[in-house]
Amino acid sequence: MNTANTMFDRFKVSFQKGDVIFCEYEPGDNFYLIQAGRVQIVKIMGEIEKNIAVLQPGEVFGEMAILEEAPRSATAIALDPVTALEFNQENFEILMQGNPQIALKLLKLFSNRIHDQKRKFMILTLDDVEAKIADVFLMLAEKEPPSDTDSEKIEFKTTVDDIAHWAAISPAKCREVINHFVNQRRVELLQDRIVVKNINDFARFVSTRRRRQEHQ
Amino acid sequence: MSPKAIQYNANSIIFFKGDVSEKIYILKSGKVSLNYTDIETGQEIHDLIKTGEFFGVRSALGRYAREETALVLMDSNVIAFSVPEFEQLSSQNTRIVIKMLKVFSTQLRRIHKQVQNMIYSQEQVKPETGLYRIGEYYIKNNRYTQALYAYKRYLTYYPSGEYAADVTRKIERAEENLQKYGQGRGPAEAAAGSPQEIEKPAKSRELAGLAKLYYNAVSLVSQQKYQEAFGEFKKIATAGEDEEYVAKAQFEIGRCLYYLQQYDTCIKSFTALIQRYPKHPELAEALFFVGKCYEDKEERQKAKGFYTKILTLIKEEDPLYRKVKKAVRELEGS
Repeated sequence: MNTANTMFDRFKVSFQKGDVIFCEYEPGDNFYLIQAGRVQIVKIMGEIEKNIAVLQPGEVFGEMAILEEAPRSATAIALDPVTALEFNQENFEILMQGNPQIALKLLKLFSNRIHDQKRKFMILTLDDVEAKIADVFLMLAEKEPPSDTDSEKIEFKTTVDDIAHWAAISPAKCREVINHFVNQRRVELLQDRIVVKNINDFARFVSTRRRRQEHQ
Repeated sequence: MSPKAIQYNANSIIFFKGDVSEKIYILKSGKVSLNYTDIETGQEIHDLIKTGEFFGVRSALGRYAREETALVLMDSNVIAFSVPEFEQLSSQNTRIVIKMLKVFSTQLRRIHKQVQNMIYSQEQVKPETGLYRIGEYYIKNNRYTQALYAYKRYLTYYPSGEYAADVTRKIERAEENLQKYGQGRGPAEAAAGSPQEIEKPAKSRELAGLAKLYYNAVSLVSQQKYQEAFGEFKKIATAGEDEEYVAKAQFEIGRCLYYLQQYDTCIKSFTALIQRYPKHPELAEALFFVGKCYEDKEERQKAKGFYTKILTLIKEEDPLYRKVKKAVRELEGS
């Protein structure tokens, strides 16, 4: 491990507490493996800074940088003094060869990202905006750990802005549709969460819309 | 438990689309097809697995439902790994993982592009506007460090962008406030948030170019590349396009000289600055550098003289005050 460490030293970067490591919307081709300190991932949504994750040493972030010309999708801020290994397309393979643990971690991360993107694509293919939003809830439900109760009611720690983001529609339109769901008593809108009363009802709704769309 | 060899007859199914399982397979012999519907075209796709190829990796590692049905076309032998077994194998053979990473990153790129195409045809914030808004958010909340990062990046990428002039002004204000009040403190940013009248485009473009030069040089200083930074500031100062930037660059030149340990030149440079701009916003700071030069030259009396002078110029709550106080204490102590 010691030899590996010296080999990695030249890829080492450090940040002071509060430093922005990268900013949402800026182009970027580096990604990072945290060695020490915590990194907060945030997104500015309207008037609030939304915490997406707090990452610990050993975790990777910015990995979407392997995508060509994709602007950063969130902002990374050092919560402590942070040291990290900085990867890019060029040094990527060297770093991987010496460290199968990192390689495996990335492999898992990519597996999840591919799935997320495919799922997002499925949501976007729906023409009907109500179906889109219902499908976002289905996607979020798929991410929840399976519950032991067979309840149809699911609480999501999410916001209208979040849902709008996934459905790629404006927050205003999203609020309008969710309010409509509230009026239909299918959804409860609370300050920090949204409750779907019957997730199976949403599943039926989405699959009907999808089928109807296919037969058009 | 160890990886298991399994035989499948033709027309049997290894897994169905929608199954959840943590098994990863490698095809030893025979013929297996992965069947799925293309999400873009709706076409039924049949991907043949090559001998020696892994399949079922993504869904097993990501712990989500299978996205394909694995259909056995002729009698086949496969080896099934659990995720820990696969991890074990790949830790001994990084090549396999690197190869997979390449495949996955290509797949990720493709799907990401498809998603982006869908979104762009719908609604999306331009990166330029997005970056600007991030700076706006942080400045409103007095988080100067973060605001400065976003604004400076903005000028780097969009030096003649729509908000360049506004951003340039806000960088200055953020730096002042950071110095004056410190991170997280300061006035509510009502003033800065108010809409800005747009300057003449030509003027703003020029300024933005200058600002970019200036902030690039500042970033060289933070990377401790003083010699290079010195050269850049010198260019700005000699070009003399904008008095404000000349004054700012002149100050930075002195700073670089100090870090380059050229104390005599540094003292000259700051002295010239003070004479030319007696109301320079960084006046106290400039005097502090002069004091430090004398201190490093072992001319303690002179150093102390400059430090004492600074203390009469600034208020106690100025962050510099404490630094100077400390420097005086140390001079007296030694």
